[in-house]
Amino acid sequence: MFVLVVGGGKVGYYLAKELIESGHEVALMEKDAARASHIADEIGSIVIAHDGCEGKYLGEAGCNRADVVAAVTGDDEDNLVICQMAKHHFDVPRTIARVNNPKNEALFRHLGVDELISPTRMILGSIEQDIPVHELLHLAALGEGELELIEAHLQAGSPAIGRAPRDLSIPEGCTLFAVIRDGVATPLRPDTVMLEGDKVIAIGKTECQDLLHDQLIGETVSADA
Amino acid sequence: MSEPQAPAFRRAVVALNGGPSDERIVRLVAEHARHTKAELIGVHVVEIDWTLPLDSDIAGRSEEVQRVLDAAEAVAEESKVRLEPVLLQARDVGAAIVDEAVERAADLLVVGLPYRKRFGGEFAIGRTIPYILQNAPAAVWVVRDPISEEPR
Repeated sequence: MFVLVVGGGKVGYYLAKELIESGHEVALMEKDAARASHIADEIGSIVIAHDGCEGKYLGEAGCNRADVVAAVTGDDEDNLVICQMAKHHFDVPRTIARVNNPKNEALFRHLGVDELISPTRMILGSIEQDIPVHELLHLAALGEGELELIEAHLQAGSPAIGRAPRDLSIPEGCTLFAVIRDGVATPLRPDTVMLEGDKVIAIGKTECQDLLHDQLIGETVSADA
Repeated sequence: MSEPQAPAFRRAVVALNGGPSDERIVRLVAEHARHTKAELIGVHVVEIDWTLPLDSDIAGRSEEVQRVLDAAEAVAEESKVRLEPVLLQARDVGAAIVDEAVERAADLLVVGLPYRKRFGGEFAIGRTIPYILQNAPAAVWVVRDPISEEPR
């Protein structure tokens, strides 16, 4: 597989290195000449010292035959431009963008970027997993990004405790499919009665989340309460 | 006082760029190899740009590439020395030459340097030779072409 990585920061450098070690053909674009030279010294002559935001240089880097373009610069705007050009000008089958500001995710999805990687979102998710909050926990984005894998931790006050999925008004486009109880994951059937402490795993459209929150979490409890 | 002797070598990689310096460097190194029975490997690298896969059939179809290797072999034969021709496709000429020298455990790498000037008159050494000088573990001989006489 030929992977074109754009952005030679820490992410791009280690990504290129790992891909090479896995046996893939890799080209790395880095616009800073000194940084590009440093990377070339480290991992060999796979570095193209040009700006991947310019179509001409993307072309010279072999974007026309890339199986994957991964735009991992520190600038969301640059990553969006790179993926847009790769997708629409060079017909690259798969584009992956690093999104630093989670608020930009919707725009990236809307403009056709195939996969988004948001370090900010991941760290946020990790923090949320460790802190008991009365909110839905976003585990991952699925498909084209319209669906999300969600965890709801049922705590005292949850309207779902003592009830089964068939007794709840689960919003359309949303499915409860598993429950984690005492560290064991089991399928959640329509008649499974949910208990306090259960972690319910759901897949749902982003817009369903408010309704899902009402059914599984209930009214948000203030941290000061 | 005796003539200074060039250091002996066992195996030399000779980088062939297809220019006039090829004959000069092959003759030079072959003359030394004749006395020491050293092994000569003539390497010609065809640089493949990123728009094509590295294994594209480019070099194998080129008559020019074959001419470069044949000419180098012929010059070596004149000195009664065998030169093994090697054709490589790579993204970067300098890296490919150094890699070949390392793989063959060569103790000498010989490259020709055309005398060129940048626009503005400054001497241009290019990027391949600095790369080789910086990265080759073997000894490196760089043979620069003579400065052509300016046309009157």
